[in-house]
Amino acid sequence: MNRLSTQLGKLNLQNPVTVASGTFGTEYSAFYDLNILGAYVSKTITPEPKIGNPPPRLYETQAGMLNSIGLQNPGLNAFINENLPELKAQLSVPIIVSISAESTNLFAMMIRHLEATRMVDAYELNVSCPNVENEGIAFGQDPYVVMRLISELRPLTDKELIVKLSPNVTDIAKIAKAAESGGADSIALINTLFGMALDYQTGKSFIAKGICGYSGPAIKPIALANTWKVSQAVKIPILAMGGIITWQDALEFFYAGASAIALGTANFYNPKAVPDCLEGLNDFLEKHDLDLCDLIGKALIPA
Amino acid sequence: MRNPIHRTVRLESIDRIRSDYAIISFRSEEMAGLSLPGNFFEVRAMQGLAALPRLFKPISLYNIEGSSIKLMIKSFGIETRKLIHMRPGDSLEVIGPLGNSFEIPERGMIALISGGIGYPPLFYLRKKIPSTCFSTWIHGGKHTEDIFPCDDAWTEDGSAGNKGLATQGLVNLIQNERIDMVCACGPTPMLKAVAEICRRYDIALQVSMEAYMACGVGVCHGCSIPIGKMSNWVYKRVCKDGAVFPGDQVRWELI
Repeated sequence: MNRLSTQLGKLNLQNPVTVASGTFGTEYSAFYDLNILGAYVSKTITPEPKIGNPPPRLYETQAGMLNSIGLQNPGLNAFINENLPELKAQLSVPIIVSISAESTNLFAMMIRHLEATRMVDAYELNVSCPNVENEGIAFGQDPYVVMRLISELRPLTDKELIVKLSPNVTDIAKIAKAAESGGADSIALINTLFGMALDYQTGKSFIAKGICGYSGPAIKPIALANTWKVSQAVKIPILAMGGIITWQDALEFFYAGASAIALGTANFYNPKAVPDCLEGLNDFLEKHDLDLCDLIGKALIPA
Repeated sequence: MRNPIHRTVRLESIDRIRSDYAIISFRSEEMAGLSLPGNFFEVRAMQGLAALPRLFKPISLYNIEGSSIKLMIKSFGIETRKLIHMRPGDSLEVIGPLGNSFEIPERGMIALISGGIGYPPLFYLRKKIPSTCFSTWIHGGKHTEDIFPCDDAWTEDGSAGNKGLATQGLVNLIQNERIDMVCACGPTPMLKAVAEICRRYDIALQVSMEAYMACGVGVCHGCSIPIGKMSNWVYKRVCKDGAVFPGDQVRWELI
């Protein structure tokens, strides 16, 4: 029995370590075999190619980093014709395709086209990107809109529907419940927080667009609290992310109720973040003679 | 396609050539064997166990001697300051070689022009220029601290070489000799001026671009700059599609 195996809704994963959309690519196969992943998560794809935000797009802060990529991607057709077949040829682990669109109809169109390829194992609906306005975050901030979106998409596929939520909301649990009642199979959380950095001497923003997405170690406690909160509010499983850098960080998220986790910014700090995390988790479980499932949701909150 | 290598290496030597500049070296036969002029490395001084993680910093290749890789670093922020204060024997984490490389012509007259920390990529490029080519290297900086060995030095304050901008040196050179190609690396305003000069005199230009990076391997798209024809450009990654671009492909008006 594999101690690390886990279940994310309909997906049986060989282990709980996945990657955060937009922080990963097959470039990392230079450093290790990508088939050690629990699942592969693509960069977010939109119906049409997206040029992305003007530079500068990056800035490192004391405890994390700011990004303003703006969902730059080749668009659905190029992804289906070029990227997806390459991924499928290279990967034996489940492929989760992250998608975003400006309307329910466009989300539906994307799922129909992707279903026809028979190469997708799960969809991550990105309704939470802080760096684009009309798609992404505008969707993910209203529980009713989220519920309507999922219930419209649900009949289009039997595959796992994962809804990726933003922490930039008043009550993330409400949005998660709305996704669950709309028919989502699982919840991914959290996308980046809104962030900003200015040059103290000139007042000039280090990021061209000013407000952008904040990730890294600084957001881990926020992501953990959101994981715990949502795990108490819904029955569907959680794919947790936000500031997870090490295997020790990952364990905290399992206790808080995550069935799987994703490494994002961690990949930039350490190109072998995934194998290092897996090795640490496996050693820990072996040492304590535990299965991962024994830990999920077992946070001890004294008061 | 060659793959970058991720290694923890020991610092072989460090030479603080100026108060803000150091040349560091480490040994790696496999990395040295793959390296080409214009390549760069993602570099990070080893962190203490309790330290918060920090991103690697992209540093261009300065020189290769046998299996020793030499990088020239200017202290800008926290990580580069840490790097120039390292001691021989300290651990250094390195990913590389990364990025594309300069196209080296077989013959002709090449002008090299660099500004400040734009110096190192041109050093290794010049070393690899075949003897069938002629080359002249113009280098500029704010003051004498920014000046390194070259053919024609310029400082803004006149403390070393000629007083003024290195781009004036390029114009002088072009007006006196037939230049077939310019290779440039330096601050963006300088590269913009070089691109304008090359456009005016119709000379091929290769520029090595600098950008803030996270992954360094082409994944995050954080280092992208506008590349292409005037009306038909896209954001391309400095780390993977560059760092060397044809000068007339960079949309300077948008940077």
